[in-house]
Amino acid sequence: MIVEGEHRFPAPRQTVWDLLQDPLVLEKAMPGARRLVATGDGTYEGVLRLGVGPVTAAEWKLNVELRDRVPPSSYTMLIDSKGALGFTRGSAKVELIETGPAATTMRYKADLQVGGKVAGLGQRLLDQVAKMMTKQGLDGMGKELDRRLKGLN
Amino acid sequence: MHHHPPEHPGRGYVGESAPRNEDRRLLTGNALFVDDVQLEGMLHVAFKRSDHAHATILGIDTSAALARPGVVAVLTAEDLGDYWQPGPLLVPPPPVQGLVFNQATQVPLAKGKVRHAGEPVVMIIAESRYIAEDALDDVWVDYEPLEPVVDLEAALAPDAPLIHEQLGTNLAAFVPQTHGDYEAAVKDAHVVVSRRFHYDRGASAAMENRCVVANWNARAEELTVWDTTQAPIPIRNGLARMLGLLESQVRVVAPFVGGGFGPKIMMFYPEEVLVPWVAMRLGRPVKWAEDRQENFYATTQERGQVHDAEMAVDADGRIIGVRDRFLHDTGAYDPYGLTVPINSQCTLLGPYDVPHYDSEFRAVFTNRTTVTPVRGAGRQHGVFVMERLLDLAARELGMDRVEIRRRNYIGAEDFPHQWRILFQDFSPLYYDSGNYLPTLEKALEMVDYAGFAEEQRRAREQGRRIGVGVVSYVEGTGIGPYEGARVTIEPSGRVRVATGLGTQGQGHYTVFAQVVAEILDVDVAQVNVVTGDTREFGWGTGTFASRGAVVAGSACHAAATAVRAKVLATAARVLGIPEDEVEIVSGRVQPRGQPERAITLAALSGMANPLRGAVVPGTEPGLEATAYFGPEKGSTASGVHAIVVEVDPETAMVKVLRYIVVHDCGRLINPVIVEGQVQGGVAHGIGNAFYEKLHFDEGGQLQNASFMDYLLPTALDVPRVEMAHRETPAPENPLGLKGVGEAGCIPTGAAFAQAIEDALPEYGLDITEIPLSPNRLFELLESARAASAPEPAPAVP
Repeated sequence: MIVEGEHRFPAPRQTVWDLLQDPLVLEKAMPGARRLVATGDGTYEGVLRLGVGPVTAAEWKLNVELRDRVPPSSYTMLIDSKGALGFTRGSAKVELIETGPAATTMRYKADLQVGGKVAGLGQRLLDQVAKMMTKQGLDGMGKELDRRLKGLN
Repeated sequence: MHHHPPEHPGRGYVGESAPRNEDRRLLTGNALFVDDVQLEGMLHVAFKRSDHAHATILGIDTSAALARPGVVAVLTAEDLGDYWQPGPLLVPPPPVQGLVFNQATQVPLAKGKVRHAGEPVVMIIAESRYIAEDALDDVWVDYEPLEPVVDLEAALAPDAPLIHEQLGTNLAAFVPQTHGDYEAAVKDAHVVVSRRFHYDRGASAAMENRCVVANWNARAEELTVWDTTQAPIPIRNGLARMLGLLESQVRVVAPFVGGGFGPKIMMFYPEEVLVPWVAMRLGRPVKWAEDRQENFYATTQERGQVHDAEMAVDADGRIIGVRDRFLHDTGAYDPYGLTVPINSQCTLLGPYDVPHYDSEFRAVFTNRTTVTPVRGAGRQHGVFVMERLLDLAARELGMDRVEIRRRNYIGAEDFPHQWRILFQDFSPLYYDSGNYLPTLEKALEMVDYAGFAEEQRRAREQGRRIGVGVVSYVEGTGIGPYEGARVTIEPSGRVRVATGLGTQGQGHYTVFAQVVAEILDVDVAQVNVVTGDTREFGWGTGTFASRGAVVAGSACHAAATAVRAKVLATAARVLGIPEDEVEIVSGRVQPRGQPERAITLAALSGMANPLRGAVVPGTEPGLEATAYFGPEKGSTASGVHAIVVEVDPETAMVKVLRYIVVHDCGRLINPVIVEGQVQGGVAHGIGNAFYEKLHFDEGGQLQNASFMDYLLPTALDVPRVEMAHRETPAPENPLGLKGVGEAGCIPTGAAFAQAIEDALPEYGLDITEIPLSPNRLFELLESARAASAPEPAPAVP
């Protein structure tokens, strides 16, 4: 499954970069995230609770590793999540493009292999769910960014 | 049509559409299906199945599942000890020169690695299915994913990841078979056509999924297993061997089963090995009922093949020869040997005289569900390739597609027809009988082939695109090794017939009764048939290969004939007259023409089993006989299908307007049952051709594992089939029977492809794949449009 798109953040690139590396932000922003902690430099693990369409929500263990980091412009995420409903594995390429002093465009493209019950039963909904989750995640990050820009953190 | 006038019209004997004996039980909801079995203290099973198509198992943590209240046991491969064994190879490879066969059969629970998504890894036994299902989520299996092997050609590449490391290759088999000398003969060809053909997987989609219930009676030391299998006797024999029991200690019952279609002849499924073992270990009855999602992953499937085939013809359209190289997807394991691809290899020849044939196939292991026969069992692929090649050759020659078939049929005078290649029963492929041309002519008359061009023109004027397809096939049926039957006249006068077959809706309770009733001259409704219970009858193989009516029907015939002889002998003694003066009339025996001296069969049955006096030396008590039938050769059914479709080139939707089947299954026992089989087969075939496809992604993950996404044709998509029967009696069995269970679905894909092309001649479509779908046909139409569009102007930089 390919998930790709662009998102515009009204902030300088370094600010967006920092935001994206912060597990606390990701934990708040990521739909269904129960816990997300850094376990090393660029490695994270966590627990999500998610369902897809007819597949009842269940817990997923998530491991993320950031690779090929070129601050503040690009990195690759290796994603490995598994749970009772199946697994999702793959990588996502994230690029931050400076489009103004306080404007950054994020381009992302994830190539994910989905397996198990979610793949067999949720296929027709997977794309929609992926899009929805991405939107919710980005909206969540937008809110966090907003808080940061207003100096609330 | 050649209907033999029945000797006793109206009695429902052979050749008449007797009402079905089983329908009362089925229609009133009183038929027993395995899931109806409820036993006190019964435990329930759920399986943790692999999410991965190919992965190493690093570890399994079952502790949380075990701690869940209501969970009785949680088993992994390690817990099975010596009981963990790969399953048996059901069909060894035939003795073909140059053949390679690499055996790798399924295991009860995956150990060390998983080889397809849905492979069982952990078995949970609990007080209810709910608890067992909940406990599945408590089990943690740690996998290290391996690169999945999905594509058939990539699987054979030297650096491909291995599914079975011990084999050193993903090649499951290589089988070359030839007759004549294609290489030399092709030099004289006027036209050679060649294509790559794809046939892909579908599900058998029986209405009833698999189900196993086992109960160990410790005091009687008896194991009873209810199983949806098509082969109860081999299951009993195998379980007895695996469990260290006498065969007489194991009773396997395959009661009413809601559709078999082949996957239920597969044995031994992991679940049917495990449930009885667990029932014995725990001393409690255990049930596992497959759910629909499990069925999509764990019940065997069929039809993945890729053929590179060519046909050489002379200027008159006569076939010089065919060369075929194909890959067969056998899935993760190959317990069923080579039956499916050998059927493809043999059935390709069809009703045609093919002087030179050069065929080789490679069976390939893939990280997908195991492949074993599904209704048609490889025949579809062969027929599709052959029929498509004939269509292409006719097109090249500018010849009518029906005419090229007519010119190549084996003549009525050329039977029996002996080929030199080996069939699935290990005998050289042999056509016992047939008469193809009149079958074709009848189908052409029914579909009005001669007038179709005009009909097509008129439809086109209304903006409708219609097309006709006419295809032929031959189907080897009724193969050995044997079946048996016991026929008993009970003291009530009712007749009991027991046979070892399992039954899955074929009407066995009626057709076997008809065969026996005719011989004993009793009412069909007075004949009680029992199938699929090893306690009733313990010898036999199973229901497969369109052989039930032929082989078990012939055994019933033989047993009834032997009982008839006992009736006559006993009556002669009782009446004090010579045997040849005894006649049987409507359930009574009497001296010829003297109804006043008649004795009922009921009374005679009592006399044959007296409580006092002496049984005459050299006779047996009772009016009972057991007989077996083992045909040396199968019987060859054949037919022609004609289809009329309407295609909307904008939406790529195809509507089947008419479907005509002219079929020759030898003598008909019960025409309505034959028609039901054909109608159901056509529905299966239409699904296979245009609706049903299992979509696997490149990771071996099934994408449509539910009926939300896997389309079955509905009653609206399947027309009522217009049928005619031809009866060329089979010489190898006493009733002249041939099988019919698979016929309806065998040439359907080929008919579809031809008819769609015929409906849209302006597109010049070249359909080389099945299943199609509106989406796929839309893509084909788009590429045809693109190909015929004028060259685009060079792009301006």
